[in-house]
Amino acid sequence: MFQVIGGRSVQAARVLAPRSAVLVEAVRGRKSRTDPVAKSKVGRIKVPPPVDPVEMVVLKERYGEYQMIMRALRLEFKEEMLRKRYEEDTGSLAEERARQEAQEHRVLMDLNHLENQRILKLRIVRVQVEKEEADRKKFEVILQREQEQQEIVKEKEKEILKLQEDVKNFITLENLDQRIEEALDNPKNYNFAIDKQGKVVKQTMLQ
Amino acid sequence: MPMKGRFPIRRTLEYLRKGDIVFKNRVKIMTVNYNTHGELSEGARKFVFFNIPQIQYKNQWVQVMMFKNMTPSPFLKFYLDDGEQVLVDVEGKDHKHISDHVRKILGKTEEVLQSEAQAKMQESNPANFGPKKYCLRECICEVDGQVPCPGTTALPKEMTGKYRTKMAAAQE
Repeated sequence: MFQVIGGRSVQAARVLAPRSAVLVEAVRGRKSRTDPVAKSKVGRIKVPPPVDPVEMVVLKERYGEYQMIMRALRLEFKEEMLRKRYEEDTGSLAEERARQEAQEHRVLMDLNHLENQRILKLRIVRVQVEKEEADRKKFEVILQREQEQQEIVKEKEKEILKLQEDVKNFITLENLDQRIEEALDNPKNYNFAIDKQGKVVKQTMLQ
Repeated sequence: MPMKGRFPIRRTLEYLRKGDIVFKNRVKIMTVNYNTHGELSEGARKFVFFNIPQIQYKNQWVQVMMFKNMTPSPFLKFYLDDGEQVLVDVEGKDHKHISDHVRKILGKTEEVLQSEAQAKMQESNPANFGPKKYCLRECICEVDGQVPCPGTTALPKEMTGKYRTKMAAAQE
């Protein structure tokens, strides 16, 4: 009913009360309990406010009724709130809703599952293709290597044949004398002349 | 400099409020596994870059974790409160498709969101007077055009109770 105004309530009560009245209970004020009483308050006797018995009875009755009604109303409203909350949480409607939601959730999960399967299939296909690609490349590389090896072998064989051919023209100890005779009999002239037009002249003076 | 980062629009409140994925109450944790390189993870990367801030803004109580380069293919995983785990494969998808799909399977629908907004509006009636925590105004003196608070400025004499009683007593 009344708004609490903190520490001012006591002073306000003191102002509103009649002059002769004195406060009964101890008050948290400026002075502590050991401070002496003020000179102006030395002979003061505190008297509580006078109570009219008839008025008191009537007021008590009325207040009692009023407070009972207010309390009843408050409890009614509280109960209504609690009942509403209970209905929402565990009522028949709530069960229906929960079932519906579970159903929808299952449907959506199935949808998601289908989507996942679809992507899984695509992924399997792609992985397969990539694997085949990698295999093919490896195979090709091996082939290439083999081809290169074979070519090297061929080259080597050619060289061997050429060498075998050359062996016939080698100078050995047996035909040393014969070859010397031949060389002396056929002098070779390696000199040649060339003019600015590029004409080669092999004929030179024999020395 | 006021702008930070590559797309500073992601940090604006307007952009964050535009996000439309509000998860159902059952979703507690969201996990995103993606790769930093590779064509297949591109959609997931964009999703993390653009949509995750919006999702986290709208679902402040959902834990969102990002894991990089842990698996060859990207995916999302949601952990619900009854222990159920929902796996969403996002390999090769576009970030728009990912967010649409997520909203379809685990987000609150438009009508649910609207009914929730309505309920919230009904709880707080702007016509009520009361503590600042629950209502807009505490006293009629706070409204423009009304009599100012007698606690700050004195009322004109004619409106005070003691003057009126004095006049009424004088008249009798």
